[in-house]
Amino acid sequence: MLTIGKVAERAQVTADSIRFYEREGLIRPAGKSESGYRLYTEEAIRRIEFIKQAQECGFSLADIRELLELRSTDSACCDDIYRVSVEKKLQLERKIKALNAMSQALTRLIDMCSHDRKSLDECPILGALEAGLAKQPGKSPKNQSTGRSK
Amino acid sequence: MKLLVEAFSAPGCSKCAQTREALKSAAESLGKDRVTWRDVNVLEEIDYAVELGVMTPPSIAINGELVFPALPKPERLRAELARRLDRAAANSSIER
Repeated sequence: MLTIGKVAERAQVTADSIRFYEREGLIRPAGKSESGYRLYTEEAIRRIEFIKQAQECGFSLADIRELLELRSTDSACCDDIYRVSVEKKLQLERKIKALNAMSQALTRLIDMCSHDRKSLDECPILGALEAGLAKQPGKSPKNQSTGRSK
Repeated sequence: MKLLVEAFSAPGCSKCAQTREALKSAAESLGKDRVTWRDVNVLEEIDYAVELGVMTPPSIAINGELVFPALPKPERLRAELARRLDRAAANSSIER
């Protein structure tokens, strides 16, 4: 049996992370020592490695809980894991698409700046944000009055 | 009017394949000249799937609109397609 410190060292996480995973129901100690310290088996290290790897693939703690439950459910099969992974990929692609749209909106705003050290009242980026122009591709009113009131 | 039914799924799911065949038969029973069926592999057409809002395949879109986020029963799909075809026929007779 391993103490929390030993598990933390072997799995290369902090003891606080282990306590957090425990609160989240992702791992649990196998028992306690006579003096009340948590004790774990090698399985805890395997689970922590699994959690870390899954987090790197974008899985949330709720997803990881589902994956861990599936892993220990006799009736579950690889199709179930495959389904969760495909759904996660779709979720990530959706986020990437939204982030790309944000990045393009920022590019349009950045293109509006003429770097001629105007006062903030004349800042085309602030003006475009107020006018909602960042959402409209093709409208880049460089050197154009933003129509902001002073 | 012709309806395009697109069934989004991930490859390798045998349960999906069985249900999809039943749905395809139900859709095509309305006439292949009126309903076109297309199987879409979400992993190959992920941009399109995301654009339509597919989150938990298998899902079904009709004419580019995600109508069934989860697979319906064949009779429900058939009823929805029949309703759309009837509505299109009614609209075109009003236009004439």
